[in-house]
Amino acid sequence: MTVAPPSTPPSLFDRLTGRRHVPRPEHPVVVLHDVTMRYPNGKEALKDVDLVVPEGDFVFLVGPSGAGKSTIMKLLIRDELATRGVVIVDGDDVARIGRRAVPRVRRKIGIVFQDFKLLPRKTVWENVAFALEVTGTPRHRIRPAVDRVLALVGLTAQAPQYPAQLSGGEQQRTAIARALVHDPRIIIADEPTGNLDPVISWEIIQLLLRINELGVTILMATHDAEVVTALRKRVVALEDGRVIRDETGAGYHRED
Amino acid sequence: MVTFVAFSLRRAWQGFWRNALMSLAATLTMVLMLLLLAGFFVLQNVLLASLGFVEQKVEVVAYLQHNATQSQTDELVGRLEAMPEVTSVEYVSRDEALRRFKEAQAAQGREDLTQYLEANPLYASVNVKLRSPAELRTVTDALQPQREPIVRNVLNIQALVERVLTVTNFVRTAGVAMVAIVGVIVLFIIVNTIRLAVVARAEEIEIMRLVGASDAFIRWPFVFEGALVGLLGALIALGLLAVSADPLSKAMVGFFSVLPLQLGSVARDTAVIVLATGLGLGVLGSWLSVRTYLIR
Repeated sequence: MTVAPPSTPPSLFDRLTGRRHVPRPEHPVVVLHDVTMRYPNGKEALKDVDLVVPEGDFVFLVGPSGAGKSTIMKLLIRDELATRGVVIVDGDDVARIGRRAVPRVRRKIGIVFQDFKLLPRKTVWENVAFALEVTGTPRHRIRPAVDRVLALVGLTAQAPQYPAQLSGGEQQRTAIARALVHDPRIIIADEPTGNLDPVISWEIIQLLLRINELGVTILMATHDAEVVTALRKRVVALEDGRVIRDETGAGYHRED
Repeated sequence: MVTFVAFSLRRAWQGFWRNALMSLAATLTMVLMLLLLAGFFVLQNVLLASLGFVEQKVEVVAYLQHNATQSQTDELVGRLEAMPEVTSVEYVSRDEALRRFKEAQAAQGREDLTQYLEANPLYASVNVKLRSPAELRTVTDALQPQREPIVRNVLNIQALVERVLTVTNFVRTAGVAMVAIVGVIVLFIIVNTIRLAVVARAEEIEIMRLVGASDAFIRWPFVFEGALVGLLGALIALGLLAVSADPLSKAMVGFFSVLPLQLGSVARDTAVIVLATGLGLGVLGSWLSVRTYLIR
C-alpha cells in the first residue's frame, strides 16, 4: 500500500465523503492531563496519566489486561468521569460539557469493539444507517452517506446481508463503517482484532491505516505484538494504570 | 422535529414487530391485567349500587293526628319537600293506609281482619325519603310533635339506621381499598413486563448511546412502543369486555334489575379507565425502564 502524505489532495476519503479535511498535527484531538480514575470499589484504574494525541496520529495503546486501556476509552466517550484531572476531546472538556452535550461529543468519536456490537436483526446497511437515524439525520442524507462508507470499507456487495451471514472480518468492517459514518475526528478501537485470525486481522489493520491516511486520528488498544511491532507507529504502554512508555516508531515491547 | 417524530414512530413500530414475541407477551399481560382491573371496577360499582339501594330503603315515617286538616297536611309536605336533605315526600291517607294493610295481608294469604273493625284505626302518615340515611336525625327532629303539632309521633329507627350505616360504610371503604390494591398490583406487573421488553434490547440502547444518540432519540421510540402495547392491550381488553358484557348482564339480570344501576355510565367509565390505564402504564413503564439506561 502506498502511503500518501496527508497534504496530497484529494484523498480517497475526500472523494468518497466530499469532505475536505487536512489534519492539523498542532491541534490535539485527545488530551488527558494528570488523570486519575478510581472506581467506586476502590480500584485505581489510572494514576496521573498524561496523554496528548495530535490530529492525524495513529496510536497503539498496549499493556496487559487491567492496565487501564479500557478505562481511557470509557473516559473519552464519557461513560465514566475521571476522579481527578482533565479529559479533552476535540477541544471539549468532557467533565464540563454537561449531560445534554454528551451525544454531540460522542458523534466526533467512532468506536469499534472486539465483539463488533452489531444488531443481529438488522442488515449491514441498516446497522450502519442506524447510527445516523438515531442521531436525527434526515433520511435523504442517510442513503448516500451509508453507501459511501460501505464502499470505503469494501462491503457494498454485502449491504443486504445480516451479520450472521458474514465472516468475522466482514462484521468488523461493518462496525468500522458504522463508526465512520458520522465523519468522526477520531476512531477508538478496543482490541478490534481480538476475535479475528491473523490474516483477517491484517485486513482490519490495513483498513484502519487507510482511514488514518484520510485524516482520521486512530487510537487502538491491542494485545497484538506482531502488528504493533511491524507498523512502527506511536506506542503508549500502560501498566497498573500508569503510562510506562510513550514512543513513536516503537515496537510492542521495550527495545533498549 | 418532524423527522424526530416520524423516526420515533417508525422505530416504535419496528421495535414492536421485530421483537414480536416479547411485545405479544407484554400485550397479553396488559390485556389480562386490564380485564382484572375492569372486573374489579364493575364489581365495585355493583357494590356501590347495592349499598345505595339498601340505604334508600331508609324512610322517616311520621304519623299524623286524626284532626289534621288537608291544608295543614299540605303545608307540612311543602315544608318537608323544601328541605335539602329530602328527596321525596309521600302522603298516605288513612284510607290508603288501610288499603295497603289489606293488600299486605292478602299478599301473605291471611284472613282479612279489617272486616271486623267498626272504624279505621290507622293513622295517616307522611313517608319521607332521604338523600342520605346519615341525615335521618335532622329530618326526624324537624318532625317532632313539639314543632309540628299535627304530627302524632315519628317512628324511631335511629338505632337500626346507625347499624346499617356502619355496615355500608365499612363495605364501601373495603371496596375502594380492594380496587386500590388491585390497581397497584396491575401497575407493578405491567411496568415490570415492559421493563423486561426493554431490557431484552439493552444492546440496542447501548449502541445508540455509543454512536451519540441524544436521550430523546433513545427514549421516545420506547415510550411510543409502550403506548402501542398499552393501546393495543386496552382495545383487546375492551373488545373482550364488550363481547362478554351482554351474556354476563343477562345472566345477572334478575339481580341487577332490583338495583338502580346505570349500566350505560358504568360501561363508559370502564372503557375510559381501561384505555387510560393501558396507555398511561405503557408510557410510564417504558419511560421508567429506559431511564435506567440514560442516567449515568
